[in-house]
Amino acid sequence: MPAARPVPSAADRHLLKRFSYGITPALTDEVYRLGGADQWFSRQLNHKDISDGYANGLRDWFPALDKTPQQLWHTDQTGGQQGFEVTADYERWTMLRRAYSKRQVQETMVEFWANLLHIPCPEAKSWPHRVRYDTTLRQHALGRFDDMVVACVLHPAMLLYLDNAVSQASNINENLGREVLELHTVGVAGDYTEDEVQDSARILTGYRVDAWETWTPYYAEEDHFRGQVSVLGFSDPNPSYNGRDLTKRYLRYLATHPVTARRIARRLCVRFISDDPSPAVVDAVTAAFVQSGTDIKQTLRALVAHPEFAASAGDKTRTPTQDAIATYRALGLEVMPPSKKEDFAYSLLHQVNSMGQQPFGWVRPDGFPDVADAWTSISRMLGSWRAHWGLAGGYWPKSGVRHRTMGEWLPALPARFDEVVDHISRLVLAKPASKTHQRAVTAFTTIQPFERIRTSSDLPEYKLVQLLSVLLDSPAHMTR
Amino acid sequence: MDNDKLAQECGCPEFTASRRTFLRGVAGAFGAGAVTSVIGDVHRQVAFGATVENPNVLVVVSLRGGADGLSLVVPHGDPHYAAARPRIAIPTAQLLGSDAMFGLHPGFAPLLPMWINGSFGAVHAVGLPQPNRSHFAAMEALEDADPGSSERRGWINRMVGLIPGEEPQQATELGSPMVPGSLYGVSPALSLTKLSSMQLSGTQEADFQRRHRIAYDMLWGNKTGALARGARNAVATTESLSDLATTPINPQNGASYPSGDLGQALAETATLIRANVGTRVVTLDCGSWDMHSGLGTLQWGGMQSNVDELSNALAAFFTDLGGSASQVTVVSITEFGRRVTENGHFGLDHGWASAVLLLGAGVRGGQVHGNWPGLAESALVDGDLAVTRDYRSVLTEVVRSRFPELNSSQVFPGFVPETIGAMTLG
Repeated sequence: MPAARPVPSAADRHLLKRFSYGITPALTDEVYRLGGADQWFSRQLNHKDISDGYANGLRDWFPALDKTPQQLWHTDQTGGQQGFEVTADYERWTMLRRAYSKRQVQETMVEFWANLLHIPCPEAKSWPHRVRYDTTLRQHALGRFDDMVVACVLHPAMLLYLDNAVSQASNINENLGREVLELHTVGVAGDYTEDEVQDSARILTGYRVDAWETWTPYYAEEDHFRGQVSVLGFSDPNPSYNGRDLTKRYLRYLATHPVTARRIARRLCVRFISDDPSPAVVDAVTAAFVQSGTDIKQTLRALVAHPEFAASAGDKTRTPTQDAIATYRALGLEVMPPSKKEDFAYSLLHQVNSMGQQPFGWVRPDGFPDVADAWTSISRMLGSWRAHWGLAGGYWPKSGVRHRTMGEWLPALPARFDEVVDHISRLVLAKPASKTHQRAVTAFTTIQPFERIRTSSDLPEYKLVQLLSVLLDSPAHMTR
Repeated sequence: MDNDKLAQECGCPEFTASRRTFLRGVAGAFGAGAVTSVIGDVHRQVAFGATVENPNVLVVVSLRGGADGLSLVVPHGDPHYAAARPRIAIPTAQLLGSDAMFGLHPGFAPLLPMWINGSFGAVHAVGLPQPNRSHFAAMEALEDADPGSSERRGWINRMVGLIPGEEPQQATELGSPMVPGSLYGVSPALSLTKLSSMQLSGTQEADFQRRHRIAYDMLWGNKTGALARGARNAVATTESLSDLATTPINPQNGASYPSGDLGQALAETATLIRANVGTRVVTLDCGSWDMHSGLGTLQWGGMQSNVDELSNALAAFFTDLGGSASQVTVVSITEFGRRVTENGHFGLDHGWASAVLLLGAGVRGGQVHGNWPGLAESALVDGDLAVTRDYRSVLTEVVRSRFPELNSSQVFPGFVPETIGAMTLG
């Protein structure tokens, strides 16, 4: 019997599952080459050193992504590609990028921060700037949190989404002023007053966008509120019509506030450790965040180094989008440039929607929940299982994608059926098949473990789909 | 391999136990006799053989984002209303079903017959006991409805927990696969995009489905946690409700739903109610009401389009229900109302009190209930309409009226309700 395909150690598999969208044979090989998952993780943090030509090329599949807001608006207004179709392309590109980028940690962190500084898609006011907002998130996703807050809160997409673009000293709109506190920084634990919400909104006045016309952002000094402002210990006489410097100081103040540090640390722990991380690990991550001056890489290193991280394997539920992408990776799907609307690169969005989640599809500004209780409804489970089935069998989406051939799935033949299951488990789950998997595969396929598979015709394709669905529908694949 | 042998091999006591609990629940609730098979699709034929006939059903429509009660049920008789809203106030002459103080948004025209016949009413100045202008904190407080407790359990979950039986469809959320806060908790609940999604993959041929379920039992049977619970509930539900999954959604009595999520979800709800599978509470979301800008006027904007969709969908729903309407009560809830004074952007920022809409069975309609605090500056709280009736008082009346067998103080623990008189009590 030939040697079984190597898989990562349990500890390495855990780190890889938490900080990638799923382990592929290529990723396993890379980790072996680098000497282990810790080395892989360090290298991933310096994402700019990792060439990512294939994933970068995915952008060319969706020409709208490189158009200016003015061009997009003009096209929308003249009956061409509509705003919601532009953001749908952005969602598709996001799914594919997460699936195929070699910069897996960066992709993971872009998702995390985009959910904290959330702008839904589709969304009527912000859409012309939404793709550019993504570029800003990417620039800062492994940088410093305080820089990211300044750049994202003052980004025209956010100014439009949360109505700051129309806020004026004479007519304050408090939407962004409130959510900067509640959602982007300190959270409700910040215990700010309604007067402080007002002052927060006052500070932000002046940052506007020429909406529905040129979509150019500008600073309107005449719209900036002047006069004393005070929010959570940040205080300023604010005498000038030019509030730019004041606003940036204010946002940095909030981003580095101790209450923010703890909130961000806890969210990171919920994302990467468990739904209910202990105060001890949150303390440790908070300390790293504060001591590093909100440096995201150093904060992540502290999180990964904490014993609670290592002890948490399998404790997180994949959301439907994470599940879908992990399934593409587990099945080794090669998605082709789309040419018609049924093609995989387009219709993947309908599929993930049927699983219960579309990228950025959360309509409220607080972002998707990140705990199992929110993602384990009957509908979600059945939706995921249906999608696994459709993807494993190539039933849907059908065109514009290449699947592994039977020959690529099977080990050297002849082999016992349980050896076949084990081999395929190593490809799909990056681990040997467990006894439970073996028993469940046999129950479903009615092929006994000891049966000999001599040629590929001994394993009909529909039985392979059943085998794959058992692996994909199991806890090993639905958790990360 | 026969069933018993497979069940043995599965070797998962917790699963078997929970499956039995599930089945016992079914039997208990429906008075159906013995369930003959633990695995397989035999019991579904038994399970719904003897259902409780036509139980009362509560449909909760969430107006998420904070709906402006003053635009829904307009206090035209309060002189401060028009003054506070020079551009977005609705002219008195346009209102429907008016009395001296209140009138309905004109978009409620499709529901006006129900208002006139007394099966559509409202309660004004309703909300959370304390102002909370954060969407998310307010929504959580609203749906949890148990401020003294740290237990994460929603009021609908507590409510169905008091009803015999453990079938998840007792409390059903339709339209989204996300479990809303009101359904969180220890009692099983169903969250569905649509009824037809309640099927396992592959062929529906019986032996295939049986083997598929056995595989799931092996994979998930002895696991703990939310994901495993979800998996087990999913497998069990595809068995017990498989007939429902193939029931076509055919609106009855000429009902015509508006396009959109709410119409779709209400059409599914009507089908679910007709199927008579023990559903007691359905919860749905209706649109986004967070109108900081562009709430607009009667000619344009978010309010007129939302009210149109809401009232057309509800009118179609009651038409569709036909005779079953005597079982069904609809109540709207929202996390807060909006500021009294309009902002510079044809919109309204976050406020406090809003209005509750009540439709259907048991409603004392055609009137606006509650204790109107007025819109005079001195009566406002930080510029907002004051709450004079806790929303739990409204819900308590609904529960007492339509579910008299339940102890409403266990649905809203520690809460002492005020009497509103919006529902008939038996």
